Amino acid sequence: MGSPFLTPGTHSQLNQLALLHLRRDQAIPTVLQLHDDDNAGYKEGKVTTTRFGSFPHTTLTGQQWGSQIIASKVDTGSRRGRGPQKKNRQLKRKADELDSSAATTPAAEAGSGSQSSPQAAVAAASGFLHLVYPTPELWTMSLPHRTQVVYTPDYSYILHRLRARPGSSIIEAGAGSGSFTHAAVRAVFNGYPTTTTTTLTTDEGADATAATLPKKRRLGQVSSFEFHEQRVGKVRQELREHGLEGLVHVTHRDVYQDGFLVGDPQTGTSPKANAVFLDLPAPWLALKHLVRHPASGAESPLDPTSPVYLCTFSPCLEQVQRTVSVLRQLSWLDISMVEVNNHRIDVKREKVGLEYEKVRGAVVFPKSVDEAVSKMRHVEEHSRKYRELQQQQQDEEDSTPLPASLDAVLGKEEQKPVVSESETPAPTTAALADPSSQTSSVPLYAQGRLVHRTEDNLKTHTSYLVFAVLPREWTEEDEQKCREKWPPHRVDQPMQTEKPKGRKQLKREQLQREEAEEQQQQQQQQKHEDAGEESGKIREEA
Amino acid sequence: MHSYVRPNQFVAFKLPSDQTRIQKIVPNTQVFLGKYGTFPANQIIGRPFYLTFDIHETPGEPDSTHLRIVSAAELHAEHLIAEGEGDGDDQEPVDEAATMRTNRDTIDDRSTQKLTIEEIEALKRESTGAGKEIIAKLLESHSAIDQKTAFSLAKYKLRKERKYMKRFTVIPLDVSLLTNYMLQDKEAARTLEMRDEALGLLGCWGNVHHGGSTSFDMETVLANPNGRYLVVDDTGGLVVAAMAERMGILYPHDGDFDEEQQDAHSKVPATTGAHGEQDDEAQPTEGATSRRNRRPQMSAQGNTITLLHANKQPNISLLKYFGYEADDPSESHPLYTNFKTVSFMQLLDPNADSIYAQEPTEIPPQELSTYKSSKRSAYHRKRGRWMRVRRVVDEARAGGFDGLVIATLMDPSSVLKHTIPLLAGSAPVAVYSPNIEPLTEVMDLYSTARKTAFINRRRELVEQRAASEDPIDVKSELEQEFPLDPTLLLAPTLETSRVRVWQVLPGRSHPMMSSRGGADGFIFHGMKVIPTQEHIEAAGNPSRKKRKVVRADETPASSVDGVDVEMTA
Repeated sequence: MGSPFLTPGTHSQLNQLALLHLRRDQAIPTVLQLHDDDNAGYKEGKVTTTRFGSFPHTTLTGQQWGSQIIASKVDTGSRRGRGPQKKNRQLKRKADELDSSAATTPAAEAGSGSQSSPQAAVAAASGFLHLVYPTPELWTMSLPHRTQVVYTPDYSYILHRLRARPGSSIIEAGAGSGSFTHAAVRAVFNGYPTTTTTTLTTDEGADATAATLPKKRRLGQVSSFEFHEQRVGKVRQELREHGLEGLVHVTHRDVYQDGFLVGDPQTGTSPKANAVFLDLPAPWLALKHLVRHPASGAESPLDPTSPVYLCTFSPCLEQVQRTVSVLRQLSWLDISMVEVNNHRIDVKREKVGLEYEKVRGAVVFPKSVDEAVSKMRHVEEHSRKYRELQQQQQDEEDSTPLPASLDAVLGKEEQKPVVSESETPAPTTAALADPSSQTSSVPLYAQGRLVHRTEDNLKTHTSYLVFAVLPREWTEEDEQKCREKWPPHRVDQPMQTEKPKGRKQLKREQLQREEAEEQQQQQQQQKHEDAGEESGKIREEA
Repeated sequence: MHSYVRPNQFVAFKLPSDQTRIQKIVPNTQVFLGKYGTFPANQIIGRPFYLTFDIHETPGEPDSTHLRIVSAAELHAEHLIAEGEGDGDDQEPVDEAATMRTNRDTIDDRSTQKLTIEEIEALKRESTGAGKEIIAKLLESHSAIDQKTAFSLAKYKLRKERKYMKRFTVIPLDVSLLTNYMLQDKEAARTLEMRDEALGLLGCWGNVHHGGSTSFDMETVLANPNGRYLVVDDTGGLVVAAMAERMGILYPHDGDFDEEQQDAHSKVPATTGAHGEQDDEAQPTEGATSRRNRRPQMSAQGNTITLLHANKQPNISLLKYFGYEADDPSESHPLYTNFKTVSFMQLLDPNADSIYAQEPTEIPPQELSTYKSSKRSAYHRKRGRWMRVRRVVDEARAGGFDGLVIATLMDPSSVLKHTIPLLAGSAPVAVYSPNIEPLTEVMDLYSTARKTAFINRRRELVEQRAASEDPIDVKSELEQEFPLDPTLLLAPTLETSRVRVWQVLPGRSHPMMSSRGGADGFIFHGMKVIPTQEHIEAAGNPSRKKRKVVRADETPASSVDGVDVEMTA
């Protein structure tokens, strides 16, 4: 069947992991099932409830990936099989909903097994979500946290620098929450193993693939080590659910002590790793096992035919210093340390202007000096009129000297603005705005100035990354063999190879080259005869 | 896997000056490294990568050049000694003042070095030991060497080593190296100032990976082609190379793991295995391809890259470093079958393309057999090209791609307009830009406010059409106001990564004092979704959000999606 992470196909399938995408940083992972062993008592079978409504899995299965799915009307109240705490749980569920962390609601067929076919779901009036296939990025965002997670900006760079490519073998120590594990599997994946004990990963298609393979290819694999037993169990369970079981070997192991062989620490099989990622508190303690010839006499966990790339992930500088020091002692080369600074950027339209009265998120403030001046003019004009009016009234009062109590005078004064405003046209701030923008027909979404800024929550430090390379072993014997095959001082006549050539020309040159070779041999013979003579050193630039 | 230097392969040389030089290693030729020396290529062919060599030669004596492997211990010698001092005994209060040298009394002029330029030049000519004697002499004849602090002495020595050491390290040419080479040693603008960190992000957010089924067996692939990626690449092929590397189709020897496995088992077959390979590559193409039953160019179904290009010919010149010549691709290279190119004109208006539109008239075999061989092969070539273009263009137009990666000089929104509809549901989109402005514009085109307006306008138009009987073209009406359909992309996000390099030495760890400025590089990403055409009210009450408990390790939603509960669909 394969993993939805690697080969999702076009439609969602039963018993596969799917992600219910609610919003940018929130997706609920769920394995699609019609029924579940937990007896939640929904008539529709298994139902996942989110803050945007309830989604029976019958409405999620067999859908095109990326589809927008409408919520269903689900009777959450009159469910059977929930026992006496029904009311309690319902309240709790409501609280869960409010907390928006909407967990997968365990669901199952209502009552006995006879009602095995779930009821057809009825679309609700509102609510929807998007059904997407899982990727390591989405999984990193939605996985259940057990430890500090290696996030996308870090692992994308690490895997790139580790040269983790299809067919590579990679060691990971500290499986942790499994975020790096998923990304690493994707990087090294180049086909499912055909001989696995699980029923999940093999099918006829894969067998056929193996049979017709013209060459024996090395399949990419991840060897993951974790010393926390409970986490090992969880990671294994997740990998099984995700169809990645045959591609990752999870070992429960203290790697400081027992190294990196799969199986028995002394006699186990070597993962023949091309790349190593250590997310450990003390990576320098594990490095003694990552050598070509371990002191313990056990087999090396490294691939003897390739350079090995290493990355350690440590939050503190002191850890880095110890790691680097040990790396130097163990002959690692090209040692470098970096940190990755990543931030997300918010883009929005900043609306500042007097015309944005009653517009959400806008700042009602003059957008320019012109607007400020024109507003001031209006205000001045307004108060001048007001003063005139007041003066007028004062004059009237003076001319008709009526005995007025203090209260009446105060009352009048309070009313005055109202009176005056009703007389003069009400100068709302919006009316004072720059007329050019006021009358524009630009839709709201395109108004204002486009601005960008770093997102509010900034991760300023994740960890320091130490990279190093261990070259292949090279003995005097190897060197001798190479010398025999490639005469160390043989330099041929240069060829004028500048442009790609046609087939005919290639043939012609082949002949020429053969001739040249003969000449060269003759020359060399001559040289042997006359050692002191200047040899024809010919420059050749590729 | 880069296990040893193969003949006729491009490799990189790291020089003492920290510069990188890329050269093709042709057997029986000389390799020139400028002032750092010259040596026969045969002396590094077959050797492992990441080894550092010193060039030794006796002046005046031909064929005396030989390379010496510099051991790791030697390379790290100074640091190891320094660490030994630092770690061994931390309490060394012996005459703190006497041992702590400062730069109080140093003389800041050039008179301290007693060796003249002429003397140095003479030394260079006579030198046999890869420049070591020169440096030793320089240190010897420095009059104020004992006044230098340990740090400044180390710096002085390093500076001289960079200038005089005849030393180099052989590094495999891969995408990461080429990226840094283009950025630092070549014209960065040619690759849109692409950095390693941006390439890593592009690959991950584009979900670029091996499609699972091998390209060798057609049947299983045809049933369900997996891993088809669409790319727009104006970096000269660097993005294509990075994708191909992630998909396992970049290197000519990709898939040849069996030979290396043999190497692993015993040392003796290692050389024979390498031997066979060498013979293969010495006589390229013909022999290798006739054994395989000649698969036509661009014919693979799964695990493919389809490049959309703006000009008649795509610019993929950087692929030559990986053994793929755009003009004359070798048939044994994995990209030969798995890399397809389609121009934007072929995509949007295929009949305007002369190759696509004009089918070469088919000639019956009897008639063909009377042709001269040159004419016959010309016919086959034309016919083959037409069929290839037809197939590739039709396939691209049919869509269903599993991912879209863009790094372009063009306006990204104009590219997205035509490429997003070609994606399968849930397929990721990742766009790189050296500058942020093109991407903020794209973000704005996918803003929630615009999306809401789009949906409302569409509903209005549909209702109008239903009411008036007039044939209103909803699509074109909408396109006038909205250049992109904002409902097709989920979770549009903009981010940037920047790597900061540190120096780690005992007691002297700090970030590097300077690094390259220029473009930061930004990545826009999202997911293609299939919106339902029905009218849906969004559920959820915005005011509830305030009660949301934000977990410490979760970044709260941004303003962009924070209001999505109000949206109607």
